[in-house]
Amino acid sequence: MLSELLQGTDTGGFLVIQDSSSCTGRHLLKSFINAALNREENIHVLGFEVSEEELGEGLNTSAPQRLHFHNAYSDPLGWTDHLTFTVHQFCLDELTHLVKQTSQSKPATLVIDSLSWILRHQSPPAVCKTLQQLKRGGAVRAIIGLLHADMHQKGTVGSVCHLATSVITVAPGMKGDEAVAKITKRSKSGKVMQYEEIFSIKDDLTVIVQSKPSHLEHKQTDPEEQQMDPTAHLTFNLRLSDTERKAKEKLALPFVFSKEKKTALLHSGQGSGRILYEPDANDDYDQEDPDDDLDV
Amino acid sequence: MAAPVDSVGKPSAERSPFNSTSFQKKTRSKLISIPGTRPSVQNGQLLVSTGVTSLDYLLGGGLAVGTVLLIEEDRYDSYSRMILKYFLAEGVVCRHELFVAAAQDNPDDILQELPAPILDDVAIHKPVDQPRLSCEPQDSLDAMKIAWRYQNLPKVQSALASTSRFGHYYDVSKTMEPEIRQAAKCHRFYLPEHPTQSSTTHSPMIESYSALLKSLQEVIHREGFDIAASMPKSRNILRVGLHSLGSALWGDDLSCHDNPRHSHALTTFLYGLRALLRSSLAVAVVTVPSHLIQDRALMGSITRLCDNAIALESFKGSERETNPLYKDYHGLLHVHQVPHLNCLASQLPDHKDLAFKLKRKQFTIEVCRQGYSVQSNCLSRKLSIHPFHNVTDCNPSSEKPVCTFVCYWVTKSKVKLLIVLCWCQSYYSVTFRGNRV
Repeated sequence: MLSELLQGTDTGGFLVIQDSSSCTGRHLLKSFINAALNREENIHVLGFEVSEEELGEGLNTSAPQRLHFHNAYSDPLGWTDHLTFTVHQFCLDELTHLVKQTSQSKPATLVIDSLSWILRHQSPPAVCKTLQQLKRGGAVRAIIGLLHADMHQKGTVGSVCHLATSVITVAPGMKGDEAVAKITKRSKSGKVMQYEEIFSIKDDLTVIVQSKPSHLEHKQTDPEEQQMDPTAHLTFNLRLSDTERKAKEKLALPFVFSKEKKTALLHSGQGSGRILYEPDANDDYDQEDPDDDLDV
Repeated sequence: MAAPVDSVGKPSAERSPFNSTSFQKKTRSKLISIPGTRPSVQNGQLLVSTGVTSLDYLLGGGLAVGTVLLIEEDRYDSYSRMILKYFLAEGVVCRHELFVAAAQDNPDDILQELPAPILDDVAIHKPVDQPRLSCEPQDSLDAMKIAWRYQNLPKVQSALASTSRFGHYYDVSKTMEPEIRQAAKCHRFYLPEHPTQSSTTHSPMIESYSALLKSLQEVIHREGFDIAASMPKSRNILRVGLHSLGSALWGDDLSCHDNPRHSHALTTFLYGLRALLRSSLAVAVVTVPSHLIQDRALMGSITRLCDNAIALESFKGSERETNPLYKDYHGLLHVHQVPHLNCLASQLPDHKDLAFKLKRKQFTIEVCRQGYSVQSNCLSRKLSIHPFHNVTDCNPSSEKPVCTFVCYWVTKSKVKLLIVLCWCQSYYSVTFRGNRV
């Protein structure tokens, strides 16, 4: 499942990589950026936590014009007057403007490193609103965000992940360079699938999935209940062989008229089934109908 | 026998094209008869169906008009959204008006996903010129071999069927056809389309909720759903579906922070909503993502402010998924509140351990049977056990079960046998109910 996600999220997808202090998710984030670069997509990175050099280490640098790094690391709150990206610029208009001015015809992928930084300086409802607007609008094709789950309250993390189409939670694995990824993927039809995989990342940022994914897949609706064959397991035979079926169909039913008589009967008396009822003295036509207050 | 005398001899030209018989039920009730509603047997309230028949049964027959049903969402908002869609689909089928409000998804998207009703007896409102199937006589003769006399009668039953039938079934794998859906009037409220202006008054309700409440009030007043409105034309019910109130997209930080700044926004809104609904012919279903709300006291007050409250807990992603006890079900359903409307005591559900399962044609809610232990004594399964204490001690050293002491009482209704078994240090009394011989 991890490899499928690496091959490209669907348009309008929002992927959240949740990590904690025990296991960082930045390497996985860089693998996603690398995979997108290999697919020749435009990427815009909002870098709050690490500098451009550090993030660019190991990435595929064959086409540097496709990777746009917006420096929010040196001055995120805009204390000096340098033209950097500040955290207050994280709103729909500014981001759309930012993405449109530097990218070509194809909508770009937006990578946010990290969402935690933004959540500390802007209120979570505002951040969620911006993310939802970005998801719905056409300016960006997909959003990938890194979220440090242990930096926020449970409700905040839950609210942001509620908006996401896929959530990858990384946790330390048994061996040193391995990590466990718990993936929750929501499809457009409402199906939710969960996977758990062990992976490791090589130096060139390719992800190797170590174990077979153990997924717990649940369909929302049951497949149609299997029809029980009522003619099975009986001590007598209820089935028909072919000759018997043909004979059954050939059988002339009683009161079967010829086609002419049928049409004559059909067209003459159309919908004239009237019930004419005149109650006489013997009928017990009760004024108070006891059936009236039946709750049926 | 209530044979309507006045319909005798009615000329056929007056009959509507959908009627196949001339029988008309005589209604003498003083209650306003609105299609899709029925009076409750317990307290006479006007009830509407939620769209899920097992949920209607749990709520005491249906949702009372003028009340609010709170659904606490499951973790991935799949089943609560499904129940909301059932509720709206039921409104379309019963020809009620709908009001859908959402902040995350466009209400149009929600309305397009409504499940298709299983159309045995729902009148499809296609404009039909003649009440006949327009097919060639050749085809019609081959269509029915035995019942050919009834071929040309219309297959659609009269509109009367939808008033007498309470609660319909839906096929989840298909979506409702656009013709049926467009026949119902829908009012929409999509939060991103309503620019929020900061309110000058210092009210505990945030702007999004104020805008929603104002919009709802305006719709109720304009379309004549007020009870006090003096519109002589036929009354209808407004079904209000509010999706995911309290989530961050409504601008509320109730689900984000442990100590929210707008702690009273949602509660004030629900208070206003309930007051609005009590004075109008409307029903509301509100879904709240309660798994994100950390403040349980606040969740409790939200529950108290709604009349009915159920919580859905789906097994997906939790450790209960692999529990063999729950393998037949998709989740648990908890009833947190039942209403007491105009009565002292409310109708509580009999069982607390309810589980739900979403099948293709039905959303079933059942009592989750915990399962009998396999090694139960077969005696205890067949007879009714009443531990009886005042018996002489039995001898534990004997090996065979020996019936040492039998006495019986014969009363008017039952014969009671007391059998003492020696090998187990317990006593069983056996009661036979039935006729005295």
